[in-house]
Amino acid sequence: MVVPAVEPSDETLAARAAVGDDSAFETIVQRYQARVFRLACRLTSDTDAPDVLQDTFLQVYRHLGSFRGDSQFSTWLYRIATNAALMHRRASNRRPSESLALEDYLPEFDADGVHKATPAELQIASRADELLDRQFLAGKARDVVARLPDLYREAFVLRDLEDMSTARVAQALGIEPAAVRQRVHRARLMLRGYLSELVGVKS
Amino acid sequence: MTDIACASGVELLMDFLEDVLPADVKAALEKHVSGCGRCAAFVASYQATPRIVRNATDVTLTADIERSLQAFLRARTNAFKT
Repeated sequence: MVVPAVEPSDETLAARAAVGDDSAFETIVQRYQARVFRLACRLTSDTDAPDVLQDTFLQVYRHLGSFRGDSQFSTWLYRIATNAALMHRRASNRRPSESLALEDYLPEFDADGVHKATPAELQIASRADELLDRQFLAGKARDVVARLPDLYREAFVLRDLEDMSTARVAQALGIEPAAVRQRVHRARLMLRGYLSELVGVKS
Repeated sequence: MTDIACASGVELLMDFLEDVLPADVKAALEKHVSGCGRCAAFVASYQATPRIVRNATDVTLTADIERSLQAFLRARTNAFKT
């Protein structure tokens, strides 16, 4: 009987890499490079992402000795990657100049607090991927995520695009879970309204 | 908990979906949404938004970028040790 090899945990690899085991560090890089690159693209741009990727793993390598296991290794790594992306955004002149304003994308209500739009109009954003050309939607989605206010973008990307739990996002960003929920909620409202407008309906 | 209007329901949506609302508020919101076609439609689009943006912003790490990363780390981590 062949017993499948058990992959070492991230924490085991980190402990080995911290004492000079380069193959353990290489395994960490292999395990996370695609995810960190995707995160970097979503937090910065395709142009800046390769630099963010390099900076992230260099920082990981340099600070492995300070990883104490207070959070999952991946949460710690995502915190480093998010900070690296933020530094690149601040240093980059390619920052989109126009941030989205939440109030422009909120649903509208009448005096009794009832939605003004019809159910069909309110639901249309959920069909944006059916109704719009894939390439067109990809370009618009990248642009609009880049135009979210920084605080909302970080929380939304980690929680909703990288599919981390709210608790882990809170750890990665160093904020309370309630703050994560508030920021993600606002980002979702803005993006939902934006998708709706992309298909020609303000709702 | 009194009845909830669409406007206040929207503000509670994230906490509702994460199941962190007090039980009476959660029940009131469920009751409202089940009887309000507009809110049911809004919830559907609110929940679909992350999936649509996630799929639309997905990217693949290319072999070129992976090679650049390896070369960068090899050079920098070797330098780091000396």
